[in-house]
Amino acid sequence: MKYIAGKLGLFVLTLWAAVTLNFFLPRLMPGSPADAAIAKLSQNGPVTEATRAAIEAQLGVPDGSLWEQYLAYLRQVVTLDFGVSYTFYPQTVSSMVSTALPYTIILVGVVTIVAFILGTLIGVAAAWKRGTWLDSLPTLGGSFMSTFPYFWTALLLLFFAGYVLHWFPTTGAYSATTTPAFTPAFIGDALLHAALPALTILVTSLGGWIIGMRNAMINTLGDDYVTFAEANGLRGGTVAIRYAARNAILPNLTGFGLALGGVVGGSILVEQVFGYPGIGYLLFNAVIGQDYPLMQALFLMITVSVLVANFLVDILYGVLDPRTRR
Amino acid sequence: MLVATGCSIQVTSQPDPTIPDDTMLINADRGNPLFDRNFNPYLTNTRTASRWMYEPLIMINPLDNEQTPWLATDWTLPDADTIEMTIRDDAEWSDGEPLTADDVAFTFEMLKEYPAIDIKGAWQHIDTVEVDGDTITFELLTDDVPALPIIGATYIVPEHIWSEVEDPATWRNEDPIGSGPFTLGNYNQQQYSMDKNEDYWQADSVEIEHLILPATNTQLDTVTRGYDWAYSFISDVEGTWGAASESNTWWFPPIGIIGLIPNHDVAPFDDVHVRRGISLALERAAIADSASEGYMEPAGQTGLILPNQEDQLDPTIPDSGMIEQDTDAALAEFEQAGYTLEGDRLVGADGEQFSFSLTTANGYSDWTRAAQEVQRQLRGVGIEVNLSLPQPAGYQQAIANGDFEVAIGGMGGGYVYQAYNSLLSSEFYVPVGETTANNFARYQNPAADELLAELKATPDPAEQLELSHALQNIVYDDLPVIGMYYGGSWGLFNDAKFTGWPSEEDPYMAPQNYDSAPLMIFTRLKLANGDDQ
Repeated sequence: MKYIAGKLGLFVLTLWAAVTLNFFLPRLMPGSPADAAIAKLSQNGPVTEATRAAIEAQLGVPDGSLWEQYLAYLRQVVTLDFGVSYTFYPQTVSSMVSTALPYTIILVGVVTIVAFILGTLIGVAAAWKRGTWLDSLPTLGGSFMSTFPYFWTALLLLFFAGYVLHWFPTTGAYSATTTPAFTPAFIGDALLHAALPALTILVTSLGGWIIGMRNAMINTLGDDYVTFAEANGLRGGTVAIRYAARNAILPNLTGFGLALGGVVGGSILVEQVFGYPGIGYLLFNAVIGQDYPLMQALFLMITVSVLVANFLVDILYGVLDPRTRR
Repeated sequence: MLVATGCSIQVTSQPDPTIPDDTMLINADRGNPLFDRNFNPYLTNTRTASRWMYEPLIMINPLDNEQTPWLATDWTLPDADTIEMTIRDDAEWSDGEPLTADDVAFTFEMLKEYPAIDIKGAWQHIDTVEVDGDTITFELLTDDVPALPIIGATYIVPEHIWSEVEDPATWRNEDPIGSGPFTLGNYNQQQYSMDKNEDYWQADSVEIEHLILPATNTQLDTVTRGYDWAYSFISDVEGTWGAASESNTWWFPPIGIIGLIPNHDVAPFDDVHVRRGISLALERAAIADSASEGYMEPAGQTGLILPNQEDQLDPTIPDSGMIEQDTDAALAEFEQAGYTLEGDRLVGADGEQFSFSLTTANGYSDWTRAAQEVQRQLRGVGIEVNLSLPQPAGYQQAIANGDFEVAIGGMGGGYVYQAYNSLLSSEFYVPVGETTANNFARYQNPAADELLAELKATPDPAEQLELSHALQNIVYDDLPVIGMYYGGSWGLFNDAKFTGWPSEEDPYMAPQNYDSAPLMIFTRLKLANGDDQ
């Protein structure tokens, strides 16, 4: 209990620090939201003083002293009401986030889980059969693939599978002529649109899980209790899964917890390349447009999920590994 | 595994065969990446097509500022502080209500009440608005002839709908009722369509039956989706847009000037010899070539965009204001400012090399290439240029607050008065550290102010031209800013289905598909496969 209380205290302190940083960091960027809007407009010709005044009035930014803004922001954090977006005025931040979140959670979330399960299983197999092709192929392949930059893989897939071969749609989360609904036709269409972004994330994240699991597993395979289990004549599969893998999975599980926490951040580059309407795309636009309310809401969401995931992993560790409880 | 046999793969245009011949696919509206249903033409995040449903009083061609009667059939300036307009009697809203001068008056009163949506700043010029039958009279705050195009460009909205709106500055206008050639058809978050308004006052001139506007995000999409009209700077246009389809054409007229903005509040840029030295040291053709991939011409030093504004040009200015590179003359100018060439360094009185920072926005790749070319060319006269590349918002803040030595910026365009006023007027002068929306160079010249005041007050075209010539001479002689090359308007067309696009031979409108310009273009386009009538 004392262990959990300690972790909880640390969690609250970290949360406050993150929330505060989240307020100040966007304001340290040079330029204001109005500057960003005018910079965008002035690419179509010089912007007059009147237009600048109208934009500042539209955005109404930013009101009051930094301290007043901070208090208003804390109120927003508590009530989870982030007001109106600057870049996408007059849309509210909550409506934008709730539109984008499902796409990201389904795309990035599912792929993260699949990549973790698949990668861990392959890692177990590779470690168990170390020295054979079953080891070298995934290990080499995994380390090779995990060095691909996300956006590069994304662009290659987009260009060849999308534009040259026309196998997959090239942009968006569903076809322009369909309307979102829970029908087989729409779900099929949405899955087809998610295929390339999903493949990109899978290809670039799988390697890490394989290698992490394989290395941890090889360490445990050398331990006495595994040799003892083998000496007792237990079946190979039982030893691999119930004895070795169960202990070796701890580091990967930590990584998985953090990865799940990061899911809500979306995948900025992948979503950008495929024009996928998720959180990553939104975040990119928020930063470019110096959209304080939107940025604050998104960063807050990301930090809180990572912190919560971290906290849960900490607690889980306490359960799985009695040594940490001391 | 993929094996590439060549180093390039040609992407071709894949038009959707289900789109009929009278339907235009336009790449004009970017989603983010989805559309927000916002058809309020006064908001910056409005859907592009809202500005084709609400029409201006006067149609203005951004290229040469030619005015075409639109919702106003004619206008006069009985004196320099009064504008009288007659509103056409044959226009109606798409719900069948007539469009009247009362709608126009209502629109202006609404803009007065909500300054946040007065995006053209009409009420910085207007004192009162009065209606008499189909005539509307604007009493201006002062003698203000150049207020006409600003007032004329205002989007007019229906009183019977907008008067019910609680706050027009946040209203999304999801089911727009406008006066334009198209009404909203199907709408979803990734695409919307528009259908011809059969009761449009120019319905006879509009042959297009439908428009389709998908949310588009990438240049690959621009090239491959078979658009009839797109607007984008595209690298290697012959090899991309041009190669994707036989019917793809393009027209890139100049629409602005890209130049160096010296900060006159920072020494030594207050010295005309320094500015002239820099100007003479530049080889503008090379800058234009490198920045715009050869699509744009170098700009002269008059503040005018040629050939669009040729009729304004003072014929006594040599070479139409073009400055040729002349290193010796440049060094002579620098010498007058106290700089001498020592070896390969231009050295000032304090023995230090002349160096300055050149600010441009990160991500504006054409400006960055221009900056690099300037850096290279000025090294030739011994000046060290350091590039400073903040993000666009940071750049905007830097030039607005005067936190720069020399910056790259856009200028010119629009009416002669507006162009010179925003460039030269000391009305916008604020010291470094305070924010201005114009005259980023922080230039102050009483002679220029006087000419601008006279130009503002005279309705006489001959007098206007004379004053315009005088202002050109100030820009040419005093170099408040240093012109380098023209910024373009990047029209990409496909003439398989529609012909009559604006072109160099017939520049009736800038080829842009944003703001009001498309209204004019829609009335000029003909169906390529239509029955010949």
